Amino acid sequence: MDGFTLVLWGIRLLFLMLLYLFLARVIRALLRDLRAAAREATDRPGRLVVLESPGGEPAVGRSFGLDVITPLGRDVNNAIVIDDPFASAEHAVLTYRGRSWYLEDLGSTNGSYINGQPIDGVAALGYGDEVQIGQVRFRLERTRA
Amino acid sequence: MTAPSARVVAPSLPRVLGQIRPRPRWQELRLLTLVAIAMAVGSLSLGAVRTEAFGLYDPWGLGIYLGTLLLAHLAQVLAGRRTDQILLPTVAMLGGVSLLLMERLPQNLVVQRFFGTAFGLAEVQLIWLVGAIIVATTLGIVVRSDSWLRRYKYTWAAVGVGLLLLTFVLGTEINGQRLTLQIGPVAGQPSELLKVILVVFLAGYLSENRALLVEQDTRVGPLRLPPLPYLAPMVAMWAIALGIVVVQRDLGAALLFFGVFLALLYAATGRVSLVIIGMILFLLGSALMANLFGHIQTRIDIWIDPFADPLGAGYQVIQALHAFARGGLLGMGLGGGLPEIGGRPPIPEIHTDFPLAALGEELGIVGVVAILGLYLVIVERGLRIGIAAADDFRSLLAIGLALVIGIQAFIIAAGNLKVLPLTGVTLPFISYGGSSLLANALVVGMLLALSDKGVEAPPPPTSVSRWRRLTRRGPAR
Repeated sequence: MDGFTLVLWGIRLLFLMLLYLFLARVIRALLRDLRAAAREATDRPGRLVVLESPGGEPAVGRSFGLDVITPLGRDVNNAIVIDDPFASAEHAVLTYRGRSWYLEDLGSTNGSYINGQPIDGVAALGYGDEVQIGQVRFRLERTRA
Repeated sequence: MTAPSARVVAPSLPRVLGQIRPRPRWQELRLLTLVAIAMAVGSLSLGAVRTEAFGLYDPWGLGIYLGTLLLAHLAQVLAGRRTDQILLPTVAMLGGVSLLLMERLPQNLVVQRFFGTAFGLAEVQLIWLVGAIIVATTLGIVVRSDSWLRRYKYTWAAVGVGLLLLTFVLGTEINGQRLTLQIGPVAGQPSELLKVILVVFLAGYLSENRALLVEQDTRVGPLRLPPLPYLAPMVAMWAIALGIVVVQRDLGAALLFFGVFLALLYAATGRVSLVIIGMILFLLGSALMANLFGHIQTRIDIWIDPFADPLGAGYQVIQALHAFARGGLLGMGLGGGLPEIGGRPPIPEIHTDFPLAALGEELGIVGVVAILGLYLVIVERGLRIGIAAADDFRSLLAIGLALVIGIQAFIIAAGNLKVLPLTGVTLPFISYGGSSLLANALVVGMLLALSDKGVEAPPPPTSVSRWRRLTRRGPAR
């Protein structure tokens, strides 16, 4: 084997090694990303962000982590207390079942709304939908990974 | 940028541009540097084989490609969006391998004339690669809202079906397949664009009706199916696309559409039963179509035994298998494969349908595995972007876009390796072809835009879909 062939062989191997070096660097970045996401992950399936609240309680921009069952209403025993004259004491329940969210109105005086439509009993909703209880508007969001 | 002195107020930029706040992207720069080094070494390797002396092969082409990548990186730094930093280098690596491969194949495979100058295979591919990088980067910088996609999903679906019909009526026939649409000087393959439109439509439709598809059942004997009326529009859209595709004899696109359809349906509903039913339907349909259409039966016969007609129907597949065999573990080196037999490349359509076989010959199984790994990286990024997305539409869109690239790469790689019957789709970012490169650039650009961590919240739904209101009275069980 002459020198030219040997060097060429080296260059060929170097190219393959560089391909794998690139792949290794990318995979390391992906793993770091995954670990960071795992550290931040919560067991909360979603959150409610307050978009509009004339009474100031809850405050606009506040975000509530949601449990599998989250009661909403004016009574202080609710997980999310809505201090609004148009909200009933036990107004509605937000539940997470299977892989879907449901809003159930508990016979409130003024009703509950999804995207501006009054709901009738139980209604399914998804991330990005807006929930209105009394004069307070929320948006259902995914917990950030 | 120079720091403005305390007295002088910096002139405000026009509102269109908004505030420019550059944000460094070191990870992307590091990975792109690695791409540049690898490309230089690859070019050296190619040059040594082709010219028998050490030197870069086609330094101008390499320079233009790497320069475009640097500009794309700088543009993203200036735009200051917090988008994904791994997608662009990964795609750049695949594109670079494509450029090295096209430089090595006989240049007269493709000759196109722009403004009286004739361009060969590698030059045309370089032009498309540069175009693809520009498209992807521009989308990643400019797109901030997705309402133009989610609001008009039926319009997009209509555009897609219209494009297919137009191709069917006005298209020009190449190799017995009527796939190319020529309007004035612009020619393209609409099925490449259609795959993107299909994902947009499916993501829009499924995110709107997901709650319902998960919750309600139609019972057909022992099977639990989703409510059929709500599946109908989706199935109709899919059937129209598939029907025309079959009439056009574009089997690869049909397989790709079906794979994406099932994967998205599973991602949206989480029902394995749907996927199983879909696969059974697909197998039944394939068996039926194999009996009805001769060309499908031919493909299957070749797949089962290419050596039955080694110089005729099976020639292409056999040559590809020989190429992989010659490549072995480490390959013959870039440019070291059999360049041509009697003035032709050994594998017909090597630049569009069989680039993986060419790479298998020159880089060996080791190189092919690395390249397949790069596609996996793209899929992983897309799935991560989908999981982190704020709402269902963006999730399904990101997942669907990533899977389009992944499934397409799988279909053609499996076809080249005789794992599946050969169907003519392109290997994303590596195959020669403007439509393919630009459509995949659209996909990457949209993934980049979707990955922005600081992007605005999804637009509020204007009205509730009437399907979403489940009228179920009484307490939740």
